[in-house]
Formats: sequence, C-alpha cells, structure tokens
Amino acid sequence: MPTVTATKKKTVRINGCVASAQAAKYADVDVIAAYPIRPYTATMMALAQMVANGELDAEYIVADSEHSQLSIAHGASSSGARVFTGSSGVGVQFAYELYSPISGSRMPVQMMIADRTLDPPGDFGSEHTDALSTRDMGWLMGWACDAQEAFDNHLIAYRIGEDRRVLLPQMVCQDGFFVSHITSDVELPDSSQVREFLPPYKHPYPLDPRHPVSHGPQIMPEQGPPLQLERARAMEGSMAVIEEVHKEFGEIFGRHYDPWLEEYKTDDAEVVFFLQGGHGVTARFAIQHMREKGLKVGMVRLRTIRPYPTDRVCEVLSKFKVVGVIETNMGLGSPSSGGVLYADACAALYEAPERPLVISFMAGMGGEAIVLKEFYWMTEKMIQAQKRGKIEKRTHWVGFEE
Amino acid sequence: MSTKGTKIPDWLTVPFAGITPAPSQDKGQNLFPTGNWRAIRPVYRDKLPPCNNACGTNEKIQGYLDLVKRGKYLDAYALIKEDMPFPSVTGRVCYHPCEQACNRGKYDEAISIRAVERFLGDLGQALKHDVVKPGKPNGKKVAVIGSGPAGHSAAYQLARMGYKVTILEKSPKPGGLNRGGIPVWVLPPHVLDREIERLVELGITLKTNTEVGKDVSWDDLKKNYDACVLAVGLTEPNSVRAEGENKEGVLYGLPFLRDIGMGTSKVKLGPRVAVIGGGNTAIDCAREALRQGAVEVTMITVEANTQEMPASPEDLHDMFEEGVDLWHGRAMTAVLGNGKVESLQLHPARFSGAINASPINIDRNAPAEKFAVDNVIIAVGQHASLNWLPPEFKNERGTIKIDRFGRLGDTNFFAAGDIAQFGSGQPLMVVNAVGDGKRVAFNLDKALRGEPLQPRTIAIDVIMDLNRMNMTYFPHFPRVHQGMLNPITRKKTQDEVIQPFTEEQAVEEAARCFSCGTCNACDNCYLVCPEPCITRPERSNGLYKIIVDYCKGCRVCIEECPTGCLEGVPELDFDTGVVRMDTAFAISPGLHGRQAQELVNLASRPAKNI
Repeated sequence: MPTVTATKKKTVRINGCVASAQAAKYADVDVIAAYPIRPYTATMMALAQMVANGELDAEYIVADSEHSQLSIAHGASSSGARVFTGSSGVGVQFAYELYSPISGSRMPVQMMIADRTLDPPGDFGSEHTDALSTRDMGWLMGWACDAQEAFDNHLIAYRIGEDRRVLLPQMVCQDGFFVSHITSDVELPDSSQVREFLPPYKHPYPLDPRHPVSHGPQIMPEQGPPLQLERARAMEGSMAVIEEVHKEFGEIFGRHYDPWLEEYKTDDAEVVFFLQGGHGVTARFAIQHMREKGLKVGMVRLRTIRPYPTDRVCEVLSKFKVVGVIETNMGLGSPSSGGVLYADACAALYEAPERPLVISFMAGMGGEAIVLKEFYWMTEKMIQAQKRGKIEKRTHWVGFEE
Repeated sequence: MSTKGTKIPDWLTVPFAGITPAPSQDKGQNLFPTGNWRAIRPVYRDKLPPCNNACGTNEKIQGYLDLVKRGKYLDAYALIKEDMPFPSVTGRVCYHPCEQACNRGKYDEAISIRAVERFLGDLGQALKHDVVKPGKPNGKKVAVIGSGPAGHSAAYQLARMGYKVTILEKSPKPGGLNRGGIPVWVLPPHVLDREIERLVELGITLKTNTEVGKDVSWDDLKKNYDACVLAVGLTEPNSVRAEGENKEGVLYGLPFLRDIGMGTSKVKLGPRVAVIGGGNTAIDCAREALRQGAVEVTMITVEANTQEMPASPEDLHDMFEEGVDLWHGRAMTAVLGNGKVESLQLHPARFSGAINASPINIDRNAPAEKFAVDNVIIAVGQHASLNWLPPEFKNERGTIKIDRFGRLGDTNFFAAGDIAQFGSGQPLMVVNAVGDGKRVAFNLDKALRGEPLQPRTIAIDVIMDLNRMNMTYFPHFPRVHQGMLNPITRKKTQDEVIQPFTEEQAVEEAARCFSCGTCNACDNCYLVCPEPCITRPERSNGLYKIIVDYCKGCRVCIEECPTGCLEGVPELDFDTGVVRMDTAFAISPGLHGRQAQELVNLASRPAKNI
C-alpha cells in the first residue's frame, strides 16, 4: 500500500537534489541507503527530513561507506524492496565492486548521481567521469539537464528498471551544482498520477524464507556466458520499454521527452554540439545568440547513454556537416585523447553513408561553466573544419588554445 | 541488435539471473556444479579414539558412549559385547586404561568410561536372552583350559564363530581369577555367575574339577579336540624367600582371596595384619583383611612411593579411606615368632631396575626393624604350574613359549593370558587378558581355516590427538562421579563399595565424550556447508556424503568438524572426478570402517550413483 500522503499537483521552487528526493518520495521507496558526499548529500538530507516528518515511510539506513551503501541497496533489493541510493565523485568509485553484481542479479536498484570531478585534487565541480566510468556495468544511465527533468527521470527510470522485461538497475544522473544546487520551478505531480504510472514493485524471485532461493550462486565457467547473454538481452530489450514508458509518461504527466536525444534548432543546422547534462541549458542560450548572428548551429543533447541509442545517434548526427562533442568528462588515453563520448559517437556514425566531421571539445571541466565566448570559439572551430573539409585535430582543450 | 538471433542451448539453460531454487535433501544444490574448482576433497575418515586404542581388548568405546548418549542402550550393549564378553565384570574391576588415555582428561576430566560400561553390563545381565548368539556350527571342537578372563574370552569368541567349545576348569567353580582374585565387594559373585551362565547359553560345555595333567593329559587334548587354548593363568604364589616364611599365620595373597571367593576359606585373622607387596592384589588383600576381622592393616612395599606402585590410584585412595597404613622402601627379611608369626623383620630395600619385576636390593647392613603382627599376607605375584606341558613349549620365565600369533610351534595349541605373557613380566590386567583371549581365538580360527595369522599386538592406526579437534564446540563440563559406600561402615561388610550409575548419570556422562576423530553425527558439516553439498538420509555416522559435483573444497566443514573426523585430502590422491567411497573411509574400528565391505561392493557401480 502506498504510504505517501495524497498530494495535489503543485509547482515548487527547488534544486535538483531536492527534486530527486521528492521523486523518491513520490516513488514511495522502501529502503534508502545513504552515505554523505558532496554534492548529492542534499538529496539524502531532504529524504531524512521526509522520513523524520512522517511524510515517507521507508527504512533509512546510513552506511559506513559507499561500498556498504550499495551492498545494503543490493540486499534490500534482493528482498523485494524498492531501493533508492546515490553518490557523487569518488563515492561512486568506492562502490564499484557492486555495480556488476547488482545488474547481474537483475536488481532494479536506483542510484542518483550528482556528478563531481574525480580526485585529484579535491574539486567539488561537476564532471561526468564518476558515473561514466561505470557505464558498461549493466545499469541504465542518462543525464538530466534541469531539476524538473531530474525529477521526471527518477520516476521514468524506476518504471523501466522494474519492468519484468528489463529488471536492471538505473543511474539517474544530474550535474553537480549546475543542476543539483540551482533552484528552479519544478512541477510536482498529483500522487494519483504517480500511482497510475508507477505500480508497486514486485520482484519475481525475492529472498523470502517462505520460498527459499539462493541469489548469486557460484557457477561453472560455461554457465557464465548464457547469463551474460541474458543480461545483454535485457539491456538491449530495454530500448523498446524505454520508448514505451516515455510515451506513457508524456500521456499521464503532460511532459513529452524524446527518450534518447533532445534536438535544439537542428532543422537547418550545419554544425551541432553533441553533449549531455546541464550544459545543455547554457548551450540553448548560446545557440540563440549565435543564430542571431546567422550561424547555422544547433544542439543534440544525449538523454540516455546506456543503452546507447546507436541507430538514432547515427541517423540524427549524420544530417550535419560537423559535430562538436562537448565531453565534460576525462578519458585519458582514449581514442580522441580527450573524453569518452567522442568514441561512442564515432562508432555510431561509422556505418552512416554520409559521415560528418567530428571534433571533441574538452569544455566544462572541473565544474566550470562554458561561457558564451567559448561556445563562439567552438563554433568557429567547427565552421573552419566545415570549410576546410577536414578537422584541425581531434580534440581541443577549450580555453587553452588560440 | 547484437543479441538478435542468439539462442541458449537447452543444456546451458539456467534460471533467471542464476537464482537457484532451494537445495533438496538428496541432491543438494544441483544447478551449478562447481566441484571442478576443488583442490582438496573433504573426506570422512574415522580415526582411532585414544580410549579404543588404550583398551586391552579395543572395545569400541566411542561407539557405545555415542549410543548411550542417544538412549540406544541395547545397541550399545551389543557393540561392547563384540570385544568384551563380560562388561558387567570389567565395568567393576577394570583398571580402565581408557580413562587414562581419554583426551577429555587433558581438557577437564576424563570420561567415566568404566561406570558407563558397568551400566551396560548390568543392563545385559537383566536381559532374559542375551543379544549374542552362537555362530553356525562348523563341526570343530576346541578345548579351552581355564575359565579365567583369557579363557572366558577365547571360549566366548570361539563359540560365536561356530566352534564346539569345552572349558576345562580345575576348580570346583568357574571364573578363575575373576572369582578367585577379586574380592566380592568389588565383584559380587552373582554378577560373575550370570556371565558364566551366558557362556553355557552359547552352547559351551563347562567341566569343573578337571585339571590338565591330572584328569586330562596333553595327549588327550591333542586327540579329542581340533585345537586347544591354554589359559591356565599363574596359579602359584611367589615367595619372598624370607626366613621363617613357613610359620603359621603366613598367608599368600591369591590363595587368601581365592579361598574366600570360592567359599572355602577357613582363615581367621588376628587384629594386626601386614600385607607384603605393592600391587592391586596386595591392595585387595589389605582391604579384604579388614573385612575378615583385622583391626590394623599395614601394607609394606619395596616401592619408594605410591607412584612406583603397580596399583591403580583409585584403589589406593579407597584403601587409605578405609584406614590401611602404607610403608615404603622396606623388604621383609624374616618372619619371627615361636612357630607362629609374632613379628616381621624389615630391612630398607629398593628395586635395582626401573621396573617392579627387577631384582630387589636389600640393605642388610642397616638396622633391622621389628614389626609386631598376628598375620602376614604375601602378595608379590605368582608363577605358573606347568609340569604337564611338554618341555619344548616352556620358556625361560617358566611360562608357555609361543610365537607372535599366540601359537605353540606348529601345533593347533594356542596360549593366552598370564600364562603366555611376554614383555615386562607383570601379570596382565583382566581387560588385557580378555583382549589376548579374543585375538588368540581369532588366530585359532584362521589357523584351522588355513588363513594367515595376525600378530597378537594390534596395528596402531592414527590415534586422534586433542590438537586436531575443534575444541570450540566442547564446553567444560565436570565428570559425573559414582557413589561410594561410607568407608567407616563398608570395611566391615562384603557389600559392593562402588555404586552404579543411574540411567540419567550414564547418559550425562556419555554425552561428555568428544568422539575423538570419529563422526558422531553432530550435523555440523551439514549445517555449515555454504553450498550446501553435504547430504545424509538421516543423522547417523556413516551416512553423510559429500556431493562432490558441487563441493568446491572450501574446507569450512573440515575446520568446523568438532571431532576431527573430516579431513582434507588432496584431489590428486583420487583418480576419478567423483568420490570413491572405498578411499573415503578408513579401516579403523569406527562405524565408518564398518561400511568397508559394503563400500567394496560399490566398485562395480557407476561412479555417478555412488
């Protein structure tokens, strides 16, 4: 039975962290596994307050580390609970051991990430490297660009992950500070809408003394591949479910998202930025500015990176002459010697009959905003390449070059 | 879509996310066979508990304690009867080397094994029909000469094997040393009588008043029987060769006790009695003297202290309780008196060697002590009377010369007990004589069937050491003590001094057993196995099996085995990927060992079914 008090639709001014906490409350989570690290901590603070106030009936467990935190989440999910957890930066890394076991045992744990640059040195600013480093562990993963989208993504992710056809954990990411700590208007739904969209969670084979089963047994080497194949099938198979759920979300809540990509002013664009997360908001403003100057620039914002919408990326990006990938992550020694988004984009484009030129921009690093001047600079680089028919080099470190 | 067109073959189909249904009792967890990870294999291998090893007849002590613990008294009695014809007797008289060897003695207090044995023996006495039955008659006749412990044991085992056994006993009553060497307040005659009845019930013919060399000759034995066991014991008391030993009032230990035991004693003791000797018989004589009317009894030994005495500490304790005085380091050099004992002359003395049978050095230059007594009882051992025996079978000790199988040359004559002793020269204890009789009976059977014989000494198996067990599982728990009659009053009566265990006491004491090295079905392995891959159709020793297809060799069961029965055996020691039960169990006398024959038959079955 839902334990959340019935509420009416209302608009509140909250930041991304609180939006995530609100989403967890609306999802009526059973277990919350917390361990503090900035900037995501504010989410757990908000949830603690909700539990203390009696707004939310959930087990709130403070772990002794992120490793324990994810272990608690794993165990709680195995027992059939809807679980909410989260972390930032190196905290995400410390729990690394658990990511594959959780997805391998097909437990739809949800983890909120407010990105933080990995050490060293201690830097609270947002870089996506923390969550992206776990991107191949079998978790559904995507970035919101504002608090409202963050709120919506949490509900959508639970619905997808808990679908019997999927049963996979989800990382619902937002940029630290740009999203997590900047307030904006968020429409909180009517609780009946959430009930309609997100039914109570029921795992098919929970740990239950009345029906004993073993989770995570040791297996023979030849029994590994079929289980891996099943997990791959679940990840691929989730794509249809993701589309279905986003459609239903739009119908119930009135906010329609393309599950994979947001296209902004791309109709006649010749060069586009390809990015994910909070920089999409500033990119929209910059593009408006540059459009007024007659530059045919647009933006494609990746909303879901796992599963990677390869065909869709290929179809969309191949319409343009030049694609500028804004990384906001570190992929040291990666194919572009910049970030990791470039390689995925290029791989998606490889089969396209007409391939655009692709440039990687190391921008928005360390939690710095990408300023208007830099968007102009990057656009100029793309236009030059378009004219030249050839890129100058694969990766530019924005702000460090002429 | 990379997974498009993929198909998982049936034989690799696994449940969702590998989520495994609950294991079943017979198959364990049978989805994910990870046994090929194993480098070592847990194997139930019963070791020899130290009590079984120390027992003169190798009773399966751990086995019957375990059965008593579980309330299976009749099974326990049947088990003890395999090696011991009269547990009611040894349950009273035994010097219990098992208890000295008991590992529990190194932890808190040894198990009171003898008291449990007596509990079982008395239970057997009360049965209308004994559990032991005679063997299928094989048509062969065997004579057993002597009905003491060794002869009794040999006759019993031979009858169980199907021999037509005749016991020839020279005394009017059977029992030998059991009757004539043990006071009735230790072993009441009705107990022994009942055990003799059991022999007759086995079809054994008992001829009393029949003495070899007088009523029956060597040649008669040869002619009338297929084989013969000589168990005549040491019947003649040793003298201390003191001056005046032939005076009136000088008695000898064994005849003194024997006459009382047979009911033919005419002895009347004076108030002051001395007993010469430091062994168990001397102690029995001293305590018996009190019951025969003596007021002051003094024991005089060559041994310098009680530790040197070949006597059980408990008997010494009980003797002191009854008020017997003990003098050390003295030898009796003369019996003084005018025709009758009036006093003893004593000189300082000590043994020349490390053992009590070595020659005695008497310091005759030292001033003699004079000790006034009315009687002296000399109890310094006994010797054989073998004038009927062909001289080639006598040895330099004056006992029977046997080979290591207990056989006299290449004849079908065997000898057992004190008359065939070797080693220290000390007389055997009852239980050792029983074991000797048992082993000789088995060899006699083998000889008549033309099979190779077994040496009388037993092969030493792995004796379980305390350090190899997991003591975490054994809380300290005090020994249950038997009741005793009050020493002040008991020394005036022939009442049995040591009281029996109640059923509750027997169970409580049996439950203290560590079951050293031997599976006692504690279920620990079954519970701790993380897979789980240990099954047992029921909780019983010998029924536990490792499902090796799933056992990864994690050693948890081995480490957590309280008794140390479970061992890790390197996988390379096995030549198949599945368990071979014949290598998995030992030959030692634990219950697992009893499966040996059954396990041999398994060889013809497909490995998977084993």
